[in-house]
Amino acid sequence: MKGPNPFNRGMNVGRDDKFWHCGLEASIDYVVSMLLELKSVQKRFGGVTALRDGNLSVCEGEVHLLMGENGAGKSTLMKIVAGMQGLDGGQMLFRGQPITFANPKEAAASGIAMVHQESLLAPHLSVGENIFLGREEMSGFGIVKRAAMMERAAKLIETHGFPLQAQWRVDRLSPAGRQLVEICRAIANGTSLLIFDEPTSSLSESETKEVFTIVSKLKDKGAGVIYITHRLEELRTVGDRVTVLRDGATVHSGQLKDLSRAQLIQHMVGRDLGALYSRQPITPGPPLLQLKNLNRGKILRNINLTVKAGEIVGLAGLMGAGRTELCRAIFGIDALDSGSVEVDSKPLALKSPRDAVDAGIALIPEDRQKTGLATQLSVGWNLTLSCLTAHSRFGILESAKLTATEKKYIDRLRIKTDGPAQKSVRLSGGNQQKIVIAKWVAQGARVFLFDEPTRGIDVGAKTEVFEVMDSLARDGAAILMVSSELTELIQVADRILVMRQGKISGELPGRTTQEEIMALAAFEEESPS
Amino acid sequence: MIQRLLPFATLIVLFVTLCFVPNFLSETNLSSVIRQTAVINIMALGMTMVIITGGIDLSVGAILAMGGLIGTMAMEKGQPILAGVAVGILTGAFCGFVNGYLTTKLKINSFIVTLGTLGIIRGLTLVISNGLPVHQIPPSFSFLGEGTVLGVPFVLWVLAVCGVLVHFILEHTKLGRYSFAIGSNPDAAFYAGIPVAFHMTAIYAICGALTGLAGMIEASRLMTGQPTAGQGYELQAIAAVVIGGGSLRGGEGSVVGTLVGAFIMGLLSNGSDLLGISPYWQQAIIGAIIIFAVSVDELRKRSSV
Repeated sequence: MKGPNPFNRGMNVGRDDKFWHCGLEASIDYVVSMLLELKSVQKRFGGVTALRDGNLSVCEGEVHLLMGENGAGKSTLMKIVAGMQGLDGGQMLFRGQPITFANPKEAAASGIAMVHQESLLAPHLSVGENIFLGREEMSGFGIVKRAAMMERAAKLIETHGFPLQAQWRVDRLSPAGRQLVEICRAIANGTSLLIFDEPTSSLSESETKEVFTIVSKLKDKGAGVIYITHRLEELRTVGDRVTVLRDGATVHSGQLKDLSRAQLIQHMVGRDLGALYSRQPITPGPPLLQLKNLNRGKILRNINLTVKAGEIVGLAGLMGAGRTELCRAIFGIDALDSGSVEVDSKPLALKSPRDAVDAGIALIPEDRQKTGLATQLSVGWNLTLSCLTAHSRFGILESAKLTATEKKYIDRLRIKTDGPAQKSVRLSGGNQQKIVIAKWVAQGARVFLFDEPTRGIDVGAKTEVFEVMDSLARDGAAILMVSSELTELIQVADRILVMRQGKISGELPGRTTQEEIMALAAFEEESPS
Repeated sequence: MIQRLLPFATLIVLFVTLCFVPNFLSETNLSSVIRQTAVINIMALGMTMVIITGGIDLSVGAILAMGGLIGTMAMEKGQPILAGVAVGILTGAFCGFVNGYLTTKLKINSFIVTLGTLGIIRGLTLVISNGLPVHQIPPSFSFLGEGTVLGVPFVLWVLAVCGVLVHFILEHTKLGRYSFAIGSNPDAAFYAGIPVAFHMTAIYAICGALTGLAGMIEASRLMTGQPTAGQGYELQAIAAVVIGGGSLRGGEGSVVGTLVGAFIMGLLSNGSDLLGISPYWQQAIIGAIIIFAVSVDELRKRSSV
């Protein structure tokens, strides 16, 4: 794989210890240098234990995947490595030496950098300025050498072939663009250990490929990479070893190629999920939601579709195909140029979400934290937010009725919470998503628009969300489900519509293949391989 | 929890400490503290609602002057006292409505909108009055600000009614619940199908109405309609809300907290007066208290997440 390493101090390479050896057997017969070791790391926040027993080891030239359900402690563990948080117990060794970092700057001095899931950039500054933020090159008197800095940034971008310009302002970039700036920032000064926290969740396919290219380049240069991800599919291509965390403890660590997908899931959830989720379709009723010739600029072009009562219709497509935009238009957020949205064959005049809600339409938006929930408010308040009119008389709330409704839907959707008064922010992603859904069930909606319903929620909770969708359909709801996870669409949807460049490019039966969907979703000029 | 009770504890410690100051417990002094703080208190109740929605109203000082002036002018023109008070309240409500309408329709930050209307309302008040105070007021109007019912200053009754009313709105009505939702996450409120603009405008109008009432109380205490009344009151009202645990980021605040905040400031300034501390120092002390209160609150929030 690579030559003997100058940093090799020959420490802690006991081949029998499952956490310590680097397991790059066979292909190499010399000892690979250990970069980072975490032993029984513990971390508490107040009374909550985030990490009980975090173990992880990364060698030079290794891509190490870190997996686990939400709340398993992955991010906490990585924040400790990157110097953003201290540890309460256990030990961290870097190149064999015990080490602690008081802040990210100290970690960076050791060559450890982290690409964050949420953007931590200064939006009003340029790409170049962001890349070197906080470590600008200074001439005397504290004056920034701006031209030199921008040139370095430009060179860095060019080397990796990113679709960026050093002088672009960051607030004009898409989430994917910002992610790329984060990556540039992390690798700008040369790193020995780079941590990616779900880097591809906001990236398109080509950008994802670019990230993988960077990862393998870093690997070839002998750097260690820790890669947190939820997406099982993309792992095989990049990873060497995998560590699985569950409930704050390392439950498995080993070669990725020895693990089947089902085994990985089992390690993550701690129980056998059996087969992947599959759904018994039901005979649909009359058409409930009908879209006729919808147009909105170049974003939505002549959209026609029908969702019947009891039906789950999947909506596939690449990023920017117009799927979220279609949901927004149906929900009355964006105005249409022409066309009509009909519920029960009655055309709607949609001027705001209010009108859509009155017609029985509900949107479960893709960005839960931003638009789905008031996270600082309680579970109960969020749950009843859309049905207060039915729970009040002359504007005065009927608290007994409200309490009953809160209880009813917490039970019905099996939301795991201490009670209706708990702040929503404290719940896991899956349970937060269930609050958003419960809000609309309580409101009495019959048409549900699910935009990426499983984004950022863990494997076990995904199945629960699907079960909720299924029971809604059985109760006669019409469901339109947008998802970028093709396997999910194939598992859940009765029919799958594919969007491309604002148009519906085709319809497929539920039991289709990913290849068929991609063939309709990808641009003609970029025919799928 | 301990930190949440800090404003309360501060108020009690302050009160107990002041009991050792001569004259503090005299009836005249206590009722003068209540009368002085009632005006700020009532304005701060309205401000609490606005701040909970994530907004701010910098124009309340100007609205107070406008309400007081128009209300007393109505009396000067021969209207009965109750009608005059109603005119004052309605004037305030209208100004508040304009604030809410501009904020929601033009989608401009409420800080900017009310900074603008602060100037507009203040200017219009001077134009209408020609800069001169209104003096021809029926003598019995003084009852509102200076009267006593069952041995308690009448303004305290008014304040109690307003406090109960605003508490009821915030805790037991749809409007109140929506205010918290809008302040906590305006996008999520909009996506939940809440008519955000309507309810925000209602909140600003209620804040204006309470401020109009405060303007009439101020006019009654001075027995003049002063076009220059209420300068700087907006900052005191905001300070009361913030000391009482309201968050300028929205979604947090309570009537009890705000009342405690306003009384802390009232007692501080009364105590300093009694102890002969210069009013110059008083300003500095209250400023320091605001920063202290907010930093304690921030620490509490950080440790609880």
